[in-house]
Amino acid sequence: MAEASASLRPGRLEGLDRAAPVWLLAAAALVMLILLPMGWLAYISVSGPRGLTLAHYGRVLGDPPLQKALWNTVVLAFWSGVVALAIGAPMAWLSARTDLPGRRVIQSLIMASFVTPPFLGAFAWVMLAGPNAGYLNQLYRGLTGGEAPLLNIFSMPGLIFVVAIYTFPYVYIMIANTLGLIASDLEEAAAILGAGRLQVARTITLPMVLPAVLSGFILAVLQALALFGSPAILALPAGFHTVTTQMWSFFQYPPRAELAAAFSIPLLLATALLLLLQKKLLGRRGYAAVGGKGGQRRTIRLGPWRYPALVGCLAVLACAVFLPYGILLKAAFARAWAQPLTPANFTLENWSFTFLHDATRSAIVNTLELGVLTACVGAGLATLLAYVTNRRLIVGHQVLGFLAVAPVVIPGVVLAVALFVAYTRPPFLLYGTLWILFIAYLTKEMPVGYSQADATMRGIHPELEEAGRILGAGRLRVLREITAPLARSGIIATWCFVFIGVIRELSASIILFTPNTKVISVVIFDLKEEGQFGAIAVLGVFMLVMTFATVALMQALLGRDVLGARPSGSSG
Amino acid sequence: MPGVTITGLTKRFGDVAAVDGLDLTVRPGELVAMLGPSGCGKTTTLRLVAGFMAPDAGEIRVGDRVLSSPGGVIPPERRRMAMIFQSYALWPHMTVAQNVAYGLRFAKTPRAERSGRVDEMLRAVQLGGYGTRYPGELSGGQQQRVAVARALVVEPEILLLDEPLSNLDASLREEMRFEIRRLHERFGITTLYVTHDQAEAMVISDRAAVIRNGRMEQVGAPDELFERPRTRFVAEFIGKTNLIDAVADGPGSVARGRLRLRVAADGLTPGTPAVVSIRPHLIALRPRAEARTSPAGANPLAGTVLRASYLGDTVDYQVALEESDIVLRVTSPTPARARAGDPVSVTVPADACVLLPAAD
Repeated sequence: MAEASASLRPGRLEGLDRAAPVWLLAAAALVMLILLPMGWLAYISVSGPRGLTLAHYGRVLGDPPLQKALWNTVVLAFWSGVVALAIGAPMAWLSARTDLPGRRVIQSLIMASFVTPPFLGAFAWVMLAGPNAGYLNQLYRGLTGGEAPLLNIFSMPGLIFVVAIYTFPYVYIMIANTLGLIASDLEEAAAILGAGRLQVARTITLPMVLPAVLSGFILAVLQALALFGSPAILALPAGFHTVTTQMWSFFQYPPRAELAAAFSIPLLLATALLLLLQKKLLGRRGYAAVGGKGGQRRTIRLGPWRYPALVGCLAVLACAVFLPYGILLKAAFARAWAQPLTPANFTLENWSFTFLHDATRSAIVNTLELGVLTACVGAGLATLLAYVTNRRLIVGHQVLGFLAVAPVVIPGVVLAVALFVAYTRPPFLLYGTLWILFIAYLTKEMPVGYSQADATMRGIHPELEEAGRILGAGRLRVLREITAPLARSGIIATWCFVFIGVIRELSASIILFTPNTKVISVVIFDLKEEGQFGAIAVLGVFMLVMTFATVALMQALLGRDVLGARPSGSSG
Repeated sequence: MPGVTITGLTKRFGDVAAVDGLDLTVRPGELVAMLGPSGCGKTTTLRLVAGFMAPDAGEIRVGDRVLSSPGGVIPPERRRMAMIFQSYALWPHMTVAQNVAYGLRFAKTPRAERSGRVDEMLRAVQLGGYGTRYPGELSGGQQQRVAVARALVVEPEILLLDEPLSNLDASLREEMRFEIRRLHERFGITTLYVTHDQAEAMVISDRAAVIRNGRMEQVGAPDELFERPRTRFVAEFIGKTNLIDAVADGPGSVARGRLRLRVAADGLTPGTPAVVSIRPHLIALRPRAEARTSPAGANPLAGTVLRASYLGDTVDYQVALEESDIVLRVTSPTPARARAGDPVSVTVPADACVLLPAAD
């Protein structure tokens, strides 16, 4: 059968063999991506001209405008969470438990809201609800004949609204998935004893779903904390800062990295604490464990409430999807976006401008290059790491798994500050190149990539590989011939998730870019300064088309819904 | 065809020793079943033999090659073994024929011969013509047979089976037991078979090894294990039994309270504790009114039936003995000869009373 001679090889742990250097390389990459920049960040926040000092913290936490920014962030995060919960929870219940008409369409629209970059939504809402030229205000003025606008999106309530309509999908996913696990018989037991529909919902379903509800709220709060685009677009014109916009202003020339570093640490601690809380709520399994065997589910009949419920859902989706997409499309094809889209107003100039103008075209190229590169490297690295941790191939694999999802704790601006500090000095002078953006994206998307890769690897029973080995195939051959084909669709899904995340990234890009290394999201901000709403709309539409094309690719290859996957924040 | 020699095998997970100084020898061409409750270490032992883990102490030899020791492990792909997993582990992205042919590449079988051998083996497991199907299209029993074919076609020196029948339903399981035994007799490969089902072990194996807490309790042919168990655990694990704690009161008898029993031993030291195992089907039961004089060397006892359960081919009685706190379980062929409440006489032959070591 095999070779006649075979010598004993030392192996304290099964599998520590020729493939070891590959695994160790992957581990080293993780250390470079995460530990190095975070170490620098912590160091810079306490280093002064005469050694270690807490002066930066003092300045940052004692300065009244900065304190105001912190408070604004707390208000924003809390209220967006509440509104996201108020929207997402009922929609999840309606979708998962009742006979709401058009459930599948609603789910697709929620997915569209999930992949829409929030800053794009913010731009669209400026065009819809800006006090002067906003479309809805114009309609209102036309109807009432008055001068005053109905809505002013440049306000804290406006900001909370825009943030909430793009974070509620996180709440929705978390609650809908949990509701899917609860068997009907638990609720039927209550119904038989005489409880009405609402009573059952209140006394049986609600307590079982509570951990998921709270967890979803925390997720929404976390997303809101880290956003840069929406506050920059809506809060700055209204005259107030949040932590993220404040950090960005620290980087306007001259960059004051130490202050930014000191300001980052509280934000980091808050995020870490919230994630810890969320993990405790969900337990080790990462989703709300519920009782019962998860059997058949009987849908609740809404009766006369069907159509009002549907109208409610569609109203939410109108705010998140229909209205913003509509106004973006209009602005993309209009000479003057605030005017009605008559044949005289119709033009393709915006498109030719965007694709021919040097600055925008190079940004598109940069974005696509970075998207593809990060997705390839990210999917490869994540898959390798997931394999190493799932098969327990090296000592300390649990640490690897933890490090891979650790970046979820780091808001984009903080990561950018850390990378700026780490890579604008020898030996790794990467600032000013596309490479620093690549590292930022790779680090930021690693949690999502790893979660997906981990789920893929869990789905491949180790016995499938062991069967190959006992018949004579070595470990690497088994990887190639058995594991890889079975993991293929999961790896593609990982690629798609990372790609979508990269092309819409803003909060890190806005700090790390230089004139030669702009990406689409950054250029959109430039164009905002110039008032070029047409070009912004074109870029926005382009971004959305690329995103939806990727999602469609994923669904075609995998035959399943994007919403079936867990969002990055929930893997803890 | 080599045998397998396991000496002093130990494997710890954290503080717990899953396998604790296990010794076992499988003779060339023999099928030995490793039998025991879940968590007893039998699967861990099998995986150590396969080379998926390294032992903390002890040695595994095949023939006279040392394959595993704390110093090193020859990797699974070079051990010339084959394994059938509980989950079958068929590769869903390959056809049945590709699954079965996989190992032939490493066995350096010439390409031209491969498909012939695959077809032959598929016919041997009664799946002739199924080569182009995918595992997902097959039933549980058919998948199991593909797994068997895949393991046998490479002509391994050692065959390992990890509870291959547990995922099948009861009637299929019985059929497959005989099938596996038949294939073993045809190909004669040295085989190690893990199971928790003692009936399965009895049917399939040449010898069975009862394992508890990572250690060997007793190894022997099925009849030996059943008729001459050497520990309490083995007596209770293999088949049903009555266990009586008593004290020796003569060279060949024991007593418990006012009950005296002649046992299958002599040379007992009076006063020492003794545990007696009596198989229910060796006890004769008849209504008290029909009692006859018992043969010499038998123990005539009187009692009352507490319960009689009709099982179709046998009747299971619970008999409360007079002058004792013991309730004996008795199995007799139908028809039932007594009902609950009837007085009966039970006769226990002396050589049905097997002595076990008291300390366990």
